[in-house]
Amino acid sequence: MRTMGFRLRLALFFVATLVTVQLLTAGLVYEVTRRALVTEGERQLTANAQAFVAQMDDISARIGGNVEVLSLDYALRSAIAERDRGTVLSVLRNHGRRVGASRMLLIGLDGTVEADTAATSSTPQRFPFPDLIDDAYDRRTAAVVALDGKASWMVVVPIYAPQPVGLVVVNVPLDDVLLAHMQRLSALPRDIELATQSAPGRWDVVARGDRHTGLVDSLASAHRGLPWKPLLTEVDGKEYMVLAQRLKQPKQGAPVVAVLGYSLDDALSPFRSIAIAWATLLALGLGVGLLGAWFTARSVSRPVEALAAAVRRIGAGDYRTPAGTRRHDEIGQLAGAFDAMTEAVRQRELRIRHQAMHDSVTDLPNRLAAEASIDESLGGQAGGGALLMVGLTRAPEIIKTMGHALCDRLMRDASERIRRVAMDAFLARTSDTQFMLWLPRAGQDAAIAAGLRVLDALNEPYQETDVSIDRLPSVGIAMAPADGRQADTLLRHAEVAQFAAAGSASALSFYDAATDPHRPERLSLMGDLREALDRDGLLLHYQPKFDLASQRTDGAEALLRWNHPRRGWVAPDTFVGMAEETGNIHRVSRWVLASALAQVQRWIERGLALHIAVNLSTRDLEDAELPAWIAALLSIHRVPASCLTVEVTERAVIGEPDTAIRILRGLAEQGIGIAIDDFGVGQATFAYLRHLPVSELKIDQMFVRHLATDANDRIIVRSIVELSHQLGYRVTAEGVEDQGALDYLAAVGCDHAQGFFIARPMPAEAFATFVGGQAGQAAGGSRR
Amino acid sequence: MRCLLVVASLLLGNAWPVLAAEVTVHLDDGRGHAVSDAVVMLIPDAAPAAAAAPPAPATHVVDQRDETFVPYVQLLRPGDEVVFRNSDSTRHHVYSFAAIRTFEFVLRPGESSPALVMDKSGIAAVGCNIHDHMITYLFVSAVPAIALSGGDGNATIGHLAPGRYTAHVWHPQLHPGHPQPSQSVTIGGDADIGHLDFTLSLMPDPRMFMDREHLDY
Repeated sequence: MRTMGFRLRLALFFVATLVTVQLLTAGLVYEVTRRALVTEGERQLTANAQAFVAQMDDISARIGGNVEVLSLDYALRSAIAERDRGTVLSVLRNHGRRVGASRMLLIGLDGTVEADTAATSSTPQRFPFPDLIDDAYDRRTAAVVALDGKASWMVVVPIYAPQPVGLVVVNVPLDDVLLAHMQRLSALPRDIELATQSAPGRWDVVARGDRHTGLVDSLASAHRGLPWKPLLTEVDGKEYMVLAQRLKQPKQGAPVVAVLGYSLDDALSPFRSIAIAWATLLALGLGVGLLGAWFTARSVSRPVEALAAAVRRIGAGDYRTPAGTRRHDEIGQLAGAFDAMTEAVRQRELRIRHQAMHDSVTDLPNRLAAEASIDESLGGQAGGGALLMVGLTRAPEIIKTMGHALCDRLMRDASERIRRVAMDAFLARTSDTQFMLWLPRAGQDAAIAAGLRVLDALNEPYQETDVSIDRLPSVGIAMAPADGRQADTLLRHAEVAQFAAAGSASALSFYDAATDPHRPERLSLMGDLREALDRDGLLLHYQPKFDLASQRTDGAEALLRWNHPRRGWVAPDTFVGMAEETGNIHRVSRWVLASALAQVQRWIERGLALHIAVNLSTRDLEDAELPAWIAALLSIHRVPASCLTVEVTERAVIGEPDTAIRILRGLAEQGIGIAIDDFGVGQATFAYLRHLPVSELKIDQMFVRHLATDANDRIIVRSIVELSHQLGYRVTAEGVEDQGALDYLAAVGCDHAQGFFIARPMPAEAFATFVGGQAGQAAGGSRR
Repeated sequence: MRCLLVVASLLLGNAWPVLAAEVTVHLDDGRGHAVSDAVVMLIPDAAPAAAAAPPAPATHVVDQRDETFVPYVQLLRPGDEVVFRNSDSTRHHVYSFAAIRTFEFVLRPGESSPALVMDKSGIAAVGCNIHDHMITYLFVSAVPAIALSGGDGNATIGHLAPGRYTAHVWHPQLHPGHPQPSQSVTIGGDADIGHLDFTLSLMPDPRMFMDREHLDY
């Protein structure tokens, strides 16, 4: 047992209390009884002593009565009166036998012994106790006399005939036999001794009761005297109350006392059986008490232990109802309270678990729950499945514009719609803008069908009073196990596919590992990019822009290059796209702008009047502070605004029209040129461009590359150039790779040409050299 | 009894020369009670003068009434006769083991005993064998100066010649075996009147007890 249990302690307490109380009671009872017995002993001894005296008096009365009857006998009277000694002696003997006397005497009035049944000689003697004779006429006279080590009871009776003529003395031996007789007839204690004083302080026992206790001897040795009041002493190792009682005696005789003992042990003996009964009762009571205590304790401790076990179960997350709830006592109340608490805890835990695993807006399972569910589904069988990631890409915009509440309602609506078409698929909300559908054991066809159903459902605009919102859904699909065997992998790949779909026309795409720009290494690449930005690890190459009219290079497009310390040259498409997604593009663009303008300043200082074109990302057009920042930069480097052209793609101006247009206007107002990059492949139309402060169009190299041979391209390019010029835009052709194209462009009046045929992008120093060298060539018109 | 005393004194007075000297003896029991029926004798220390002639013998009657001898003590002169008369309605068995005279009669109611001559000096205790508490004493004495105390405890002895006397007192309830109380008295002249006081230690009156067996001494 680890520690003393409650049960054991309770039982032990009960038992200890019981035993203590019983022992105290026993001690108390013993002491009270003993005291009562001592008192009783004193009383009894005193009473017995008086009773003994009274008994002796009774004997006297009996003997006296007998003698008186004797004295009334006329013949005896006459015999005594006539001093007929022989007759008198025979009468005395006869009578002595009747009263149990050992000796009878006839005493004359003068005190001489006239007849003695025990006389051996006939010489007259005087009676040795004259005071007895004196008293005999007045009252019944009897006394104990000790003669020759024997005690006897002497009764003296006068004989009248009719006047006193003599006295009869009856001598009854006071011996063991008489004492035994008296004890039989009365309550005389068995411990009685008669003692006579043979010398001062010395007492000889002359008779004793039927128990030879040795009271007198013990007293003589222990107390050097006899107790005239009840005395508690020890005789032969036993406790006795002892009392000495003087007996009537003649003046001349030796003192005789009766010593009475009262044995406390004897007195206690009736209580011994009570004590045994009590001890038995105590043992029984102890047993029963122990048993009862044990049961009571168990009835208390069992439920408590059960409750403790129940609480431990609750602690371990098991909410089964604890035992003992049927009880109606305090334990039952406690158990009830535990039940209530358990239920409350269970409810709260369910709620917390629900909240942890569910989205609060749509009440759909969240990403964690989805992962768990998918992993469970994948772990169970090898059938695989399809994971559909449904993205509402406009959600952040909707939040910014309409607020969270509306967006939440919109999301709830979306979840309802998806649920309606999702059939038995597992639906979850994995992020603010994304839902997820898991189709176990589904193939690509089923996945596409589901994806299209979802797109159909979500393409319907969200309707609310005064508001109608297009959600622009996109669906990315990752197939298990082909695209991953684990939920997180599948989710990531489906998300990549969804991102890809968001940019594509069909709004639905499968994950393609080959084109996944979101490989894990990109995160480290971004880290490296930030480091490169901090340590000027990037550099700009400049591709000459060839002015077809003057046949000379009058500007350059700044192109970002990154010589990664370990990977070598990293393609701009790779890290720029990544920078856009990871939000680093702002820093990149600003670094490019700053570096390019600093370079222009250096060129200007060297007397090279060049203008510079810098590409801006779509994201840059969300940066409202950009115009002011560029203005500051221009003034720092003392570069005229007209020397700077920013290039943006068609998508940038179409995707974010309002903000983008505002920024572009801000830039245009400063005199900065605005060029539309890759013109011709996107959706930008001239009608649309009319709203923009565009100053230059750059024809996509798709149209330029085969210009020398393709008649259609020639028509398109010539049309663009002509239309642009008529609208006031300058035109630059990209991707010039041969003389024919260059010639055609010059022929149709294109303003600038750019391409490998003219020059590849080159470092700043090389570019300066290139421009310096070309200055000579230009004068000679070598290109033509 | 008083009547008898008067008769006795008259007789004495007639017998002796008239002398005025007398001795009055008062007897009590030490507890303030007068003692009656005590015999007081004055015996001259000197040899008595010529003895007066003894008076003529008289007959005394001791009656038995209500189971009691009357009187308790009867003074007699040697030679006097005594007759026991039963005035009760029961029998009485009168007896005496006295040394001076042993006798016994059974007296029927109303019967009288024959006259007994008490010719020896001494004391005879007379009892009734039927009734233990009945007792009377016949005090036979030749002493001339003798008197019996009355109910007031006084006994007066007159006609005394001057001289030294010893007063002796006897009473039935004096302790047997104890010496007789006595005192000396001197008569100075013819008209001298002596006073003596005796305090007697007496045993209980045996006549008072109805049944000695049940008495508590």
